Amino acid sequence: MTIPPPTGSQPTGSQSTGSQSAGSPPVGAPRSRSGARSRSGGLGNGLAHALQRITASALGPYQSAVVRIGFAATYLFFLLRELPHRHELYGPDSPWHWDLARRLTDGNEAFSVLLWTDSTLWFEAVYALSLLSAAALLLGWRTRTMSVLFMVGVLSLQNRSIFMGDGGDNVIHLMAIYLVLTRCAQVWSLDARRAARKAERAAAGLAPLRDVVGPVLWAVLGPVLMGATLMDGLGGTWWLTALLWTLWLSAAAWWAANRYAPHGEPRTLLDVLANLAHNATLVVIMAEVCLIYATAGWYKIQGSRWQDGTALYYPLKLDYFTPWPALSDFLAANGLMVMVLTYGTVAVQVAFPFTLFNRRIKNVLLVAMICEHVGIAVVLGLPFFSMAMIAADAVFLPTAFLVWLGGRATLGRRRLLSRLPGRSRADDGTDGADGPPESRGAGPAKGGHGGPEEPRLHGGGGGHTLVG
Amino acid sequence: MDSDHDGGVAEGKKEAWPQARSRQEAGQDAPAAIPASVQGPAAEPSGTETETETVTGRGMAGLSLPYQVVAALALSVIGLLACAQVAMVFLHVSPSNTLTKQHGEAVDDWVYPEFEQNWKLFAPNPLQQNIAVHVRAEVVGAEGRRTTGWTNLTHEDGTAIRGSLFPSHVHQNELRRGWDFYVNSHDSENRSNGLRGDLSERYIRRIAMLRLSERDHGGTIERIQLRSATSSIAPPPWSDEKISTRPAYRVLPWWTVDEDDLPAREAERDAAQDRDAAHGVEENR
Repeated sequence: MTIPPPTGSQPTGSQSTGSQSAGSPPVGAPRSRSGARSRSGGLGNGLAHALQRITASALGPYQSAVVRIGFAATYLFFLLRELPHRHELYGPDSPWHWDLARRLTDGNEAFSVLLWTDSTLWFEAVYALSLLSAAALLLGWRTRTMSVLFMVGVLSLQNRSIFMGDGGDNVIHLMAIYLVLTRCAQVWSLDARRAARKAERAAAGLAPLRDVVGPVLWAVLGPVLMGATLMDGLGGTWWLTALLWTLWLSAAAWWAANRYAPHGEPRTLLDVLANLAHNATLVVIMAEVCLIYATAGWYKIQGSRWQDGTALYYPLKLDYFTPWPALSDFLAANGLMVMVLTYGTVAVQVAFPFTLFNRRIKNVLLVAMICEHVGIAVVLGLPFFSMAMIAADAVFLPTAFLVWLGGRATLGRRRLLSRLPGRSRADDGTDGADGPPESRGAGPAKGGHGGPEEPRLHGGGGGHTLVG
Repeated sequence: MDSDHDGGVAEGKKEAWPQARSRQEAGQDAPAAIPASVQGPAAEPSGTETETETVTGRGMAGLSLPYQVVAALALSVIGLLACAQVAMVFLHVSPSNTLTKQHGEAVDDWVYPEFEQNWKLFAPNPLQQNIAVHVRAEVVGAEGRRTTGWTNLTHEDGTAIRGSLFPSHVHQNELRRGWDFYVNSHDSENRSNGLRGDLSERYIRRIAMLRLSERDHGGTIERIQLRSATSSIAPPPWSDEKISTRPAYRVLPWWTVDEDDLPAREAERDAAQDRDAAHGVEENR
């Protein structure tokens, strides 16, 4: 059954699709038939339109980008902060000795490259690589590879010393796996900038530059993956091995498609598959965040202290969660404030999944939750947990806001750089969207970092969020 | 209006790409899709830009039947996987129910080990007790054998956390979770429940030795003993509850320190000293 192209306000567009697809039978129906179809097949058309949408584009590019940046930054700062303690946490000085870790993971199939050998040099190398991959993911450089290395680093370090982690580590653990399957570097990344430059060259009629780094990375990681598989070093789960091999082989498939048949159907198919994976994973990420809040809230309401409004008092008196005792005492002193915050926490967490269907309430709740996380970060001394949760919440932020944020960031960056001696304003022009606006697809997209000064709404008034 | 040769593939894609002359389309509902030319990190558009847009933004409509079948299959598989993941994670965090009683093992197989999660943060009730871990040691030194007093390791952690904007996991989680691990894998008679019990005991001993070795006790530590002091938090000032805040102790048996308990540097130093003693080198304590 052929999927009819979406008919809509621009029949000419959809009609010519069929005739233009290289070498394929006309996909589009003749105008009259499609007209009839649109009258009688409303549901079918809606379905076709939805299908087209999820296969033609990776939705939520800004949201996935901000999730990528948030988690990469959180873990990068965490690794930097724990640099002096790294030996005690994950290395040779750890009370959770390598032998203990080995025995535990033998039983539970966890994956950690640190369990391949207990050499200190290997540990330092893994730590350094995790740092570098977090930095690369933050910048969006070679994201498809770096997200995999980031996942390997996160899983290895955390599974090496599973009892050193807390809630924040748990969130990072999950998101590191999910990010691998997303196209999270479509905006705000060096990859986006590189792609825009390629498009520029292409539009100017120049031959594309041969990409060296990509194939080199692929060729280096291939033997590593092969060795790890043969020596059974990928943990006990079958899906991790399958995932890594699928990614490595698909990288080759992409390269071949781009090199030998850049306008062919296989290339389009690959694009469709990547979009499907990204969109499905984005749904899973959103479901995960909803589950976190829902679970937290729905278990809370079963507790007597949450019911009587005094729950917030107790963590403020725990030894491990009072880095600022005076502040904690101050907050705990007023019974009314404790009750308001207690009930407020429960209300926000329980209600959050249901507010996703109304944009305004969702945004209000997002603000409330982010403020709460900031409060927890400072008062309870859990900064990385809060950063991770804020990054996870960011998947629900409205596109218009994110685009505006990107614009602000670009502005700030330009102002900062223009103040540096020796850096002329001309430099900034090349990477911004100061190119002629009528130029091409490359124009506004070039600035990966938000492009022109004014927020780009991508044609949607008020922006278009993923939900509502 | 029809700027592209092929007219774009999806009306969605076309609207998502506001070029200068089509900004008046801003009023239309547009998906937050990215223009094709910056599609993926690995996208290498060659040829003209419109052909690029064609290739990377075509979607299902740009494929012929065989490829559409493949894409539809992929869609089903991916969709099923995503649904399964969400369902399994949900069952994993939900309370025990009909499904998990019958198929609990299947859920566990799917979720463990990498998707394990626990979001009962301060729920159902937040912790209302301060659990402090104390340790004392039997030291053999120049003056013979003596037993040190109880050292409050939790208090040391707390001191390290105070005033810190970014407390380290080493202070916040190491001892706390280690002790929880021990308590959860031993019964009230301090008997181990198997592998995890043995691992947790070794872990707690190493943590204690690591902390003790940070100061000099005037001899080698031969035996250690741990105890936890659990004291309830005093009720809030506005509450009329009466709760005793006297600590309740859980004292573990004495453990003889062996080589495995020593922190790595200590073990090396002791090994070096043993070698020196064997060669008749005097040590200055």
